[in-house]
Amino acid sequence: MSPKVTITHLSDLTPPSQERTWLTAPHPTLPIVATCSSDKTIRVYSLTNFTLLSTITGGHKRSVRTAAWKPHMTGESVLATGSFDATVGIWRRWDSYGQEDSAGMGMSSNDKPIPADTLTAASNGTGTVAADREEEDEEEWRFAVLLDGHDSEVKSVSWSASGMLLATCSRDKSIWIWEDLDDGDNNFETVAVMQEHGGDVKCVSWHPSEECLASGSYDDTIRLWREDLDDWGQVACIKGHGGTVWFLDWEGEETEGNWSGPIAHSDSESELSALQAQWRSQRALSGPRLLSCSDDRTVRVWRRQPKESQQTGPLSSATTGIPSIIRPTGTDEVWEEDAVLPRAHELPVYAVAWSKRTGLVASTGADGRIALYEERFVTREQEQEQQAGSDAMDTTSGDVLRTEWVLVGVQDGAHGIYEINHVAWAKRADRGSGGEEEVLVSTADDGSVKVWTVTR
Amino acid sequence: MAEMQNSNPTILNAADLPTRLRPTVTRKSEYGGIFTSALPLTPVDFESDPPSDSEDDNLLEEPIDEQEIYDLISSISDPEHPISLGELAVVSLPDIAIKPTLPDVPDSPLQSVTVLITPTITHCSLATVIGLGVRVRLEQSLPPRFRMDVRIKEGTHSTGDEVNKQLADKERVAAALENGALMGVIAKMMETCH
Repeated sequence: MSPKVTITHLSDLTPPSQERTWLTAPHPTLPIVATCSSDKTIRVYSLTNFTLLSTITGGHKRSVRTAAWKPHMTGESVLATGSFDATVGIWRRWDSYGQEDSAGMGMSSNDKPIPADTLTAASNGTGTVAADREEEDEEEWRFAVLLDGHDSEVKSVSWSASGMLLATCSRDKSIWIWEDLDDGDNNFETVAVMQEHGGDVKCVSWHPSEECLASGSYDDTIRLWREDLDDWGQVACIKGHGGTVWFLDWEGEETEGNWSGPIAHSDSESELSALQAQWRSQRALSGPRLLSCSDDRTVRVWRRQPKESQQTGPLSSATTGIPSIIRPTGTDEVWEEDAVLPRAHELPVYAVAWSKRTGLVASTGADGRIALYEERFVTREQEQEQQAGSDAMDTTSGDVLRTEWVLVGVQDGAHGIYEINHVAWAKRADRGSGGEEEVLVSTADDGSVKVWTVTR
Repeated sequence: MAEMQNSNPTILNAADLPTRLRPTVTRKSEYGGIFTSALPLTPVDFESDPPSDSEDDNLLEEPIDEQEIYDLISSISDPEHPISLGELAVVSLPDIAIKPTLPDVPDSPLQSVTVLITPTITHCSLATVIGLGVRVRLEQSLPPRFRMDVRIKEGTHSTGDEVNKQLADKERVAAALENGALMGVIAKMMETCH
């Protein structure tokens, strides 16, 4: 009945790890990914030819659970890794091989000229990138610094949009925010330690443009954090999930000429552009939404109530009878449930990914399934059809734009019998690709990482 | 473990524990006849094609039933007594269930094993360790197509929900497996397993 999305296996990343892999982080600009493994290493694969480029070893004493690439780096890649050994590692590498890959040269790690002057590679941050040619293969990933502070397993790490702040979280119930001083000496300064969560903090994720951090926890809550006059503090606590919140992802912010909002199945161009315009103005008020998944098997979307409407909205004293003194004020934000996505999982949902390019949402988990969801506008006619069967009058129609989430694709047994721990969207980079396509990268318990194309 | 939490537990006679060596009440009621123990545990469907699933070792895998799960975990020793979990009735056959993980996908090989644990006393702080031991034993013995669901039987423990949440948390279990001290305790519990 409704248009479906097709998930097709493109390739495995080879050779796979022999142990459980937890997460695969796509590089923000280069066609490479970093896969975290229980074998204490991080494996860097090419998305151009799907082969292993290098293995980062020697930094962590236990499972590597998480990794994130620092954004806005040119000429050099910086990777943060978090481990069950309670530490966070920072790794650096000059970008020459990634660039060769993106030019379609495939395997290129052989035949590299060894630079005559390797001293410049031990850069103090002042040397120009062009002068800093490659080091020997074995030393391609340079261990920069170990961030020590958490008392137990580090579960997640995330760089802020600017790349200046790194958030880390742990089973010790705390979230640490570190500032990368970028002083050429790999110094990081602890900016804040937040301990409000009542259980393991499973994930942290920065807002796509603002310095606002979201965290999900074993205490079943999602919390949001902002800086207010030098102090980092909680600005919202979202209760809704009935189990551990395993993963979070933000909606993309609209970029020029790139529509990643809901889909309209309408013939009318004018109706579509009207819907999109209304959507844009609503979005401008509440900002990007937050996506979460949980042990309770659900995937949910959360929306911030626009500040203006907090005064007159459903939480105002006139509506609730609650005196204004205990209403949220100042930096506090009200987040409400925007949607519960159609149920697609029988076991805990470990990861969600919201495509910044297409708006499609992917989820995966212990049942070994990958599910895809699409958001659609609910048009006037559809709304009337729905209402025809009931005598309830929808008084909000007209001023609030309604959307619905539809399950558009399911891949069962995506990694055979194994649990899938992570899923992420990445830009497609192999030879069969044309233009701006995306691929889905899934990471499983048997060490396998698979790349999928998604077409609609 | 300075002091024993339950110094005088009820112990079942080993001869009364369910086993496949003799026809037991459950076996009899299901199949009848004394030769049933020689038959395959799951009726074999000769008409259907062998599973087309060429996934690694699935083809040669024998069917696994509740009794086999019981055999795997009943021989684990209690962390404070040199007595098995079966003899202490911490685990028992009727509290083990196997069912398809994805009921809406008929050809899915995934199966979920639910084991309900009955601690010997309602405030036993070792319940988490016992549960972890059971989960680790199953994870190490069963093929990866099985999903473990090890829980404290409802109403038998004062902090059952808390223990259950820990035992169901994949990340915590994985981290526990890398914890030398804890794994030492669990290895000792499993010394009595065959």
